[in-house]
Amino acid sequence: MADLQLELEKAIRVIKIEVSSSEQEELHKELNNFLLWLEPMLDLDTKDTAQVLFRHDAFNVWRKDRVKQGELAELQEAAPNFAGGFYLVPRIFE
Amino acid sequence: MELRKTSVRQAVEAVYNRELTAHKLIEQTLKNCSILNETMNIFTHIAGIDALEQAKAVDRKIENGAQLPLAGVPVAVKDDICYGVLPTSFGSAAFKEFISPYTATAVEKLMDAGAIVVGKTNLDDMSQGSTTLSSPFGPTLNPWLAERAAGSAGAAALATGVCMLSLESDNGGALRQGASDCGVIGLRPTAGRISNYGLNTFTSSFGQVGISAFSSENISCAFEIISGFDERDASTAVCRDRSTEKHAVADIEKIKIGYPVNAFDYLEPGLREVYEKTRDEYAARGFMFEEIDLTLLREALQAYYIISAAEASSNHARFDGIRFGKAGKATDLEELYCKTRGVTLGREARRRSVFGTFLLSKGNYDCYYRQALKVWNMVREEFAAAFGRYDIIVLPAVKSLPRPLDEEKEFIEDWADDLYCAPVSLAGLPSLCLPVGRVGQLPVGMQLIGPPFSDEFLVEICNRVFR
Repeated sequence: MADLQLELEKAIRVIKIEVSSSEQEELHKELNNFLLWLEPMLDLDTKDTAQVLFRHDAFNVWRKDRVKQGELAELQEAAPNFAGGFYLVPRIFE
Repeated sequence: MELRKTSVRQAVEAVYNRELTAHKLIEQTLKNCSILNETMNIFTHIAGIDALEQAKAVDRKIENGAQLPLAGVPVAVKDDICYGVLPTSFGSAAFKEFISPYTATAVEKLMDAGAIVVGKTNLDDMSQGSTTLSSPFGPTLNPWLAERAAGSAGAAALATGVCMLSLESDNGGALRQGASDCGVIGLRPTAGRISNYGLNTFTSSFGQVGISAFSSENISCAFEIISGFDERDASTAVCRDRSTEKHAVADIEKIKIGYPVNAFDYLEPGLREVYEKTRDEYAARGFMFEEIDLTLLREALQAYYIISAAEASSNHARFDGIRFGKAGKATDLEELYCKTRGVTLGREARRRSVFGTFLLSKGNYDCYYRQALKVWNMVREEFAAAFGRYDIIVLPAVKSLPRPLDEEKEFIEDWADDLYCAPVSLAGLPSLCLPVGRVGQLPVGMQLIGPPFSDEFLVEICNRVFR
């Protein structure tokens, strides 16, 4: 259970959400119930089964890469702001 | 014109025959939408002057001789499908006023055919749910029993007669369960038959745009228009010759229907009787029902929740205040992320994001996620084997009746309600939910499930057999 608590805290840090201590407590209980609920699926024998890789049994048709030199002037023209060889973007933090 | 009693074809004929104009039809529909919304909470936004202008434009096109197969037909669009005129909230209060810079392909196709969007319909928190109870805008009431949830607001809009078609999304069964709860017909097509461009789905593998209507004839009419390849959605299927997709249904009594008896053990009291009565009625008419075993329904549901939670955690990552989402005041990047995501993601979205991140983490990936991917394959194979013997399979659409608005349920019980729908999403199969009976006042729907690309076949069966 202690491990689960640590892993839960890690997951919350990774996804970057603010969680109150009561919500975290609730999430811990829910995660525990969720893992118990999953047990029948974990018991299935899947050793001879391949995992699904794609939503469809269809494959993309690839073309060869065509490398061509872009026109810098054209790109500069399309950019809202451009100076000193860089695109200028709005400042997020003051 | 009473929309529930009128087919799309009749409405379009009336507009072309000048019995009424598209403008008049939409004007009256918008009034009805506003009146109903006060009590039912069906729409997050109702169209205004824009819809009336579009209707006028349709009238002008008709005067100029244009052929529009959906001229003046009022359509509702679920609020996770982008429409560049009205706000698209995705089921998050933070996006309540967000107007998408583009419109979804399916909406565009409907509008090109002359349909008019009358409003955006309510949905669960980030579209995660099949009740509307987790909606940040409050639940939608069931049109048949107001103290219960509607399941899908689009289905409620159809049942109350404020639109003729409803464009919806279906991940683990929202469209089909909503259709069942409100007594309308809903089609979740084969994965890739309708473009998902412009759909904000939390689960990229299972999210699919679908259509609901009051009759299979209306479904057929809309599906013909919105299905097909879309160069903006690489997952859409290329169908070179549409005629080959249509199965011959000349001798309809000869279709073989698989009836998975074991699946009916999980139903709430009252529901089983409805399904058995339906089977017996049609068996008496000569249809061949054969008992089959679908052994993986429960495990398929669990695999669905692992994969969809993992995908939700990834898909929700973009709501960080920089790529998407309204950025709050913050002193550093970390705080900005946390604050933005704190207000953007509701309780259900947070739960699934946390669970998904946990399942994808080192040490859990192989045990849970990889196992779920293998079970996904087993489920596909089980359905494929069944379709070697049967033309269609029937399954309940719901495990229980629509939820009372004040009932608190453990989240796992809530998820377990997707028992009959999520496995079909996992297999990428087309499923048409149609009303087959009632328990008390509440309608009950049944799924007709077919092999991939049998969408038109299912609509035809619904039209001719289960009318």
